[in-house]
Parts: sequence; C-alpha cells; structure tokens
Amino acid sequence: MNTTSPAKYLRLVAALAGIAAATGAGTASAQRAVTDQMLLNAQNDGANWIMAPRDYSSTRYSPLAQIDTRNARRLVPVWTFSLGVLDAQNTTPLVLDGVMYVTSAHGRIYAVDARTGTMKWMYAHPMPEDIGKMLCCDVGNRGAALYADKVFYVTPDSHVIALNRETGKVVWDVVLGDYKKAYTMTVAPLVVKGKVVVGMSGAEYPTRLYIEALDSETGQQAWRRYTIPGPGEPGFDTWGTTDPDAWKFGGGSAWITGSYDPTLDTLYWSTGNPNPDWDGHGRVGDNLYTNSTLALDPDTGEIKYHYQYTPWDVWDYDGVNETILADIGGERVWLHGDRNGLLYKVDRTNGKLIWGKEISKVNWMTGFTPEGRPIINQDMVPTYDKVVKGVCPASEGGKWWNPMALDPNRSIVVVPSREICADLKAGKTERIEGRYNLGLAEANWEKGHGQLIAFDIRTGEKIWTVQAPSPFTSGVLTTAGGLTFAGTPEGQFSAYDTATGKRLWSYQTGSGIVGSPMSFSVDGRQYIAVPSGWGGWTGWATWGGKGGSPHLKDNRKGGYVTVFALFDK
Amino acid sequence: MKILVLALAVAIFSVALSAPVTARAEDIRNPLGLDAAAADEGRKLYDALGCVACHGNNARGAVGPDLTDNEWLRAPSDEMIFNVIKNGRSGTLMSPFRDVAPDEQIWQLVTYLRDENRKRREAGEFR
Repeated sequence: MNTTSPAKYLRLVAALAGIAAATGAGTASAQRAVTDQMLLNAQNDGANWIMAPRDYSSTRYSPLAQIDTRNARRLVPVWTFSLGVLDAQNTTPLVLDGVMYVTSAHGRIYAVDARTGTMKWMYAHPMPEDIGKMLCCDVGNRGAALYADKVFYVTPDSHVIALNRETGKVVWDVVLGDYKKAYTMTVAPLVVKGKVVVGMSGAEYPTRLYIEALDSETGQQAWRRYTIPGPGEPGFDTWGTTDPDAWKFGGGSAWITGSYDPTLDTLYWSTGNPNPDWDGHGRVGDNLYTNSTLALDPDTGEIKYHYQYTPWDVWDYDGVNETILADIGGERVWLHGDRNGLLYKVDRTNGKLIWGKEISKVNWMTGFTPEGRPIINQDMVPTYDKVVKGVCPASEGGKWWNPMALDPNRSIVVVPSREICADLKAGKTERIEGRYNLGLAEANWEKGHGQLIAFDIRTGEKIWTVQAPSPFTSGVLTTAGGLTFAGTPEGQFSAYDTATGKRLWSYQTGSGIVGSPMSFSVDGRQYIAVPSGWGGWTGWATWGGKGGSPHLKDNRKGGYVTVFALFDK
Repeated sequence: MKILVLALAVAIFSVALSAPVTARAEDIRNPLGLDAAAADEGRKLYDALGCVACHGNNARGAVGPDLTDNEWLRAPSDEMIFNVIKNGRSGTLMSPFRDVAPDEQIWQLVTYLRDENRKRREAGEFR
C-alpha cells in the first residue's frame, strides 16, 4: 500500500531537462496559453483538439465537416511520424495552433509540426529497466493534457510530468506511487480548474489505488481520493470479514480519463476491478467503490454519489471505462460502455440508472432490480471447484477500454466492441506486493469476433452493426461530416457513414491500432490522425482454448502516427 | 570484390536463417539439458513469475513473441535465452528477472522452453 504524500517527492528536475532533445528548442514561436475558457469551449473549437477525450463531455466528436461522406474516398496520407519505440501505442494525439503533442509507449512525448510531421522536440523519461514486469498490460500511455504554457503526461513508473510546451523542458516531475509495488500509470490527465487530475493503474496486483489532483503550476497535491474506503468511511463494510486486509490490497484502478460537467461542477471518474480479479472468496460484498463511476467534487475529491456497474466483480469486468456526458431532451445523463457487456445510461445529477442495454451477449446477470442494481446469475460465478463454462462476456467486454464516440446531432453513440465468451475457474493465488494476483486457476477464451455498433442514445436500440474477424481495438472518432473512424488489430483504419455503418474508405497503417483517432485543421485544411502500434493486454486473443482471435498471436508491432487529408489535386 | 563479399554475406545470412535451434559450440550450455523434472519446474515458474502475461499460455506467444517456435530472428543459444531472462532486453517490455529468480531457476525456464519446442517439432508442427 502506498500512503506516502507525493509532496515528499516533489522535485524540480532541471538536471533532467538535458534529456529533452534540443531539436527546435527555443526556435518555436510563442504559443498562446491554454485557459479554463478554452477547455470549457473545447467542443466548439474544431481546429484544435486540446484534451484527450476532445472535450469535458468526452464526446470524441469533431465539428469539422470538410471531410464528409461524399469525399471520404479521396483521403490520402499526408505525413507519418515514427514514435521511435514499439509496443502499445494507446495515445490520442492533441493539437493546438498547428502543433501536435503526442505520447508514445515507453514514456516518451513529442511535439510535432502538425502541417508536416516534422519533430519540434522530444522528451524521453528515463525508464527503470524492470518496469515491464510491473505492468499488467504493456508499457503504453493514453495521451497528454494542455494548460497554461505546459503539457502534462504520466509515465509507466508513476511520474506525472509538466513540460514547457514550447521547449519540451521539464518544469516539474512528481512521483505518485511505487512502481516496484505495481503502482503504475497510463492515464491521459484531465485539467479542471487549474488542477491536473490523474488516476492509478495496478489492480492486477495487490494495491489500493486512487485518483489524485495536482496543482498545475507546482505539482503539489491538491487531493487524493482512494477508490477503496478506509476504516470508518462509508463503504468500508462492503469488503467482507473473511480477509481483514482485503481492502488494503483490493485494487480499484482509475486509468481512464474522466469527464467534467461545469454546470454541476462535478467530475465523473470511473474505477476498475477489485483484486484478486477472479477470486471473490476473500472479499465477499459489493467491494465499493470498484467497478463504479464516482461523481466527485473537483475541488476536494469528495464523493457526491456513485453508480456501481458490477458489485463483487469476479469476472475482471473492470468498470474503468469513460463516461460520455450527453443532454438528451430533458435528460442530463452519462453514457458508459462496460466490459461487463452493457451500455448504460445514468442520470448524471444523481447516479440513478435509466437503462442498461446489451452490447454483446450477457449472462453474468439476468436483469436489474427496480433500484438499478444488477441481478447476479450465480451459475456464472467462478469458484475453486469447477470450470464455469460459457461466461458472457469474457473479461474484455462487451466494450474494452478503447473509447466510444458520440454524434450529438444524430443522437448516436458508436461503440467499439467484441463478442467473446470464456470458461473460467477461480484459484487461490498468493498475495505478494509487486506480483500478479489474479485469483485464476483456468481461463479458456472461446472463438470470437469484433463489432462496431451504433446505438440510438434516446432508446438504447442498435441502429447498425459492422462485424469484423477481430475486436475493434481503437478508440472511435465521429465528425460533423457524418463520418465515424475506427481501427482494427490488423492495422486497418476505416471511415464509415455514421448514419448507416457503410464503409466508405480504408487504409492499412502497418501495425495494429490500439490508440484513438482525432481530427484537427490548420490553415483551413481538415486532417485526420491515427496512432498505430500493436500491444496491450492481448490474452483474450491467444490464451487457452480457441483464443478470441488466434490469428493475432505475434501480431506485428509498430509505432507511428499517420495523418490524412483530402487529395487536393 | 564487392560482389564476392556480398555473395558471402548472403550465404552466411542464409545459413544463419536455416540453422537449427541448437547452441553454438562456444556458448554456455544449459547444465540441465532437457531434464523432465527441470522442465516441469520451469513450467511452474513460467506461470508464477508472470511470463505468461506477455508470452501467453505454454509460451506460444501473445503480445510478446512465441518462445517455442522456430521463427526467431536469430537462432538462440541456451546462453542467449538465459541472459535475456536474467538481464532483460533494453527498449522492450522484457524485464530482468535476476532479482527474483536464481540462476538454477532461470536454467529451469530454459529447459521448459526447449522442451516445448521439442514437443512441437516431434508433433510435426514445423514441417
């Protein structure tokens, strides 16, 4: 357990600044400061993409419409940029005023001329040699954040780093956890009212994880919210009595960027699975606040209310996925696609469930109580004494972590997903800090396939489904041009008609896509960017049984950003 | 002369590619060989140390490479496999395991991987 105040570790690392490549440093023109007003207005600023989820509502919807359903077939690559390292390229690039800020695997961040792909500067965080075995799911990073004159990102060994946006030099560098005990970080930060909010990874190991806010100027801790309550706090009694230390090592990660509603002054941040993942014998109870979305006071981190998707998760369903904030008629809701196979609509003013609809086949629950609590199917609970056959979905969904996108004008949310079930047997595993503790004796994935699904957000009805041999492992981008962009593990990046699901254009990026596409414009020209580079947790594809997508074994790695625009001749 | 050098290089490269998965004479050989008990211990270690997370069930590959096939970029010697497990591979996810596994256990892992490769060869998977 990590209880050390990050203030103890606060340090200016001017000495490290030399690691930032000098290329272009000091020659860039002065860049405007990112203000609260710019962040609050991000959804209307088509030229720029200044936070990983695009805007505080996490829509991933670009208002740009130069590229549309009629001309998408004329998209051509205009530049590519090598990220310099292999492994999971989970990032969403940012763009402000013609400069792209893109993180990569292995702790790097780059500033790139968004017109040409020419590097302006690079910062390579010095990574410890033993980091690989402290990460459940590869050495990726999900993106950066911008505020004032700085760019912020996290590293796998739990540093949060602020760099000067113009020079790439380190302004502050704070350590939030002990990576040797598997407190690790991949999240794209979110800046709210001058605070840099981040969340920890590590729930496949014995950990007690948290969401934390830092002062953007200094890196000083503003607040820390443990996702598992301590003694005397509400929810502490949901960890049972079998193992008195279960709460100390119960996981509850927070590695997906939250959303913010300024009108309610509420931060929505989701939490992951309890540990051990598949063995619930030692933690009988709801295990609050795992597998939940927390509605937080952004000034203090206090929990206002919550909704829990999977109480007592024994399937590694990990409710950490994003929330999209949407106003539908008179409803003010959040939408959340979960690895437990359900798409949720929840009243964001009070955390009450409105509906949950199947993304993929679901048999771990049989319905909801009137209060909105799932009714667990006891036949699908993994135990020590037998293999439970055909649990649907397998632990990766439904919807895996890759973000979905909203088209607010068409009232559509497009969900990247998969249809895969698994056979599971729980096992008693030893709890050692810094070591995997999955609670799993046996897991066999059934053969599966991928689905890209458009839902009507008013009713939860499916409008169209695109099927593919493999799960859709990219995030999704929607645009005002009526387009939906998504990618596959095989590296195919495609544009679809958001209204019908018809594929209009496709391009082979060279490696599997596990990051998220985005759009921006410079000098009046719209661009689409997508990272590619295969990696991340891929046990679902190849482990045991038939494996969800066995052809992905040894899938080719890579590390690129490819940027497209309309052929202009 | 350049053509001769090039031809020689191609020939050496071709031989390297077609070389069986065996140790070179100058390499340190695995003292445990293909001992069945050592292979079994290696299999247990493979799961316990978390190798399975990247390299998949039975080391058949996942996000990390298959460690039991014949498709290595360079035919590995026992010593090379031992050193990679012990010291890791810089610039990749492969961490050093020297602080958690003594040499004896690393050799057991080498035996396990060799034994899995043997099983696949004998089953005719690589014809």
